[in-house]
Amino acid sequence: MDIERRIIRNDISAPIEDRYLEDYLPGNVCECGSVRLEEADLVEFAREYDPQIMHASPELAKAGPFGGLIASGWQTLSVMTRLCCDHYISEKASRGLLGIEELRWRRPVRTGDLLWARIRVLQVSHDPWQSTGVLRSLMELLNQDGELVMTIVAAHRMSCRREAEQKRDGNHQAIE
Amino acid sequence: MEIIRQSSSLPQLADAANRYFEDYVPGSIHEYGAICVEESDLIGFGRCYAPYKCHTDAAKAAQGPHGGLVASEAQAAAIMMRLLVDNFLSTVASIASPGFDELRCYRSVRPGDVLSIRVTALKARRSVSKPDQGTVWDQVELLNQDREVVLSLTTIGMLRCRPKTSESNRP
Repeated sequence: MDIERRIIRNDISAPIEDRYLEDYLPGNVCECGSVRLEEADLVEFAREYDPQIMHASPELAKAGPFGGLIASGWQTLSVMTRLCCDHYISEKASRGLLGIEELRWRRPVRTGDLLWARIRVLQVSHDPWQSTGVLRSLMELLNQDGELVMTIVAAHRMSCRREAEQKRDGNHQAIE
Repeated sequence: MEIIRQSSSLPQLADAANRYFEDYVPGSIHEYGAICVEESDLIGFGRCYAPYKCHTDAAKAAQGPHGGLVASEAQAAAIMMRLLVDNFLSTVASIASPGFDELRCYRSVRPGDVLSIRVTALKARRSVSKPDQGTVWDQVELLNQDREVVLSLTTIGMLRCRPKTSESNRP
């Protein structure tokens, strides 16, 4: 797997190392890349998680309906997860994936495809009685020709900055 | 990842090489498993696809909100797929999947967890334009060793109908 950490467009002003729920504004777009999967990556993932011929066997896949090896859709989802970890969902604030409302695989991913993401903030809901909230995002994965490979509508639970800062100030006072 | 074969008292599907659209009867429930995940599986996947400390670094994860290593949700979903491929999908009739709906994450997967699936066939619709194929919607729940639901989703599968010539061979 060949990863090039590259930001094409990023409307979210806070850097990913210090980014909380409040920093995601509806309409914000983050375009980032890129991940390239080689044949060995496809086969390795498939043998472990999705050992169907079209994903796991380069030879037999040639005679199959896709005319060659294609990535498991679950590996494509995993690539999006990697791009989110590197560029979109801050590790500090992440409280996990709540769910995916809808995922569509629109085109097969083949050996050598260069994959990048276009992610749009759809909705930010903040529960005033909790220190967290929900970030809803539209995530599109595209290939080197700008063709859509996969679309996802996902919801992540995220910590709020206010709460994190209060906690930090509290710790400082305790230390003093 | 250790694959553990378990028997189920629920009705069994036809052999995977003789499994077609007609065999996925709405309302039917099947259970399969299990897979035991080890710490090294979590770390291996995490380093590649989800490099957060809660997935890759046991010592730092112990200090974090989960109190230890947990699997990325993408890995939990991939393990669910392995259980589907090994036990539920047809090896002759599967065409493709356009995606899935309503994935919900309820619990974390931790090292040593033994995971199985419960599949409920929800809906089956034969294609109007291609009457030799159809689409099946299944609710798949990933369960842990305490039979708690880790995640659930609705899968969508397109597959071929049983060929007319083999109709007389039906069990």
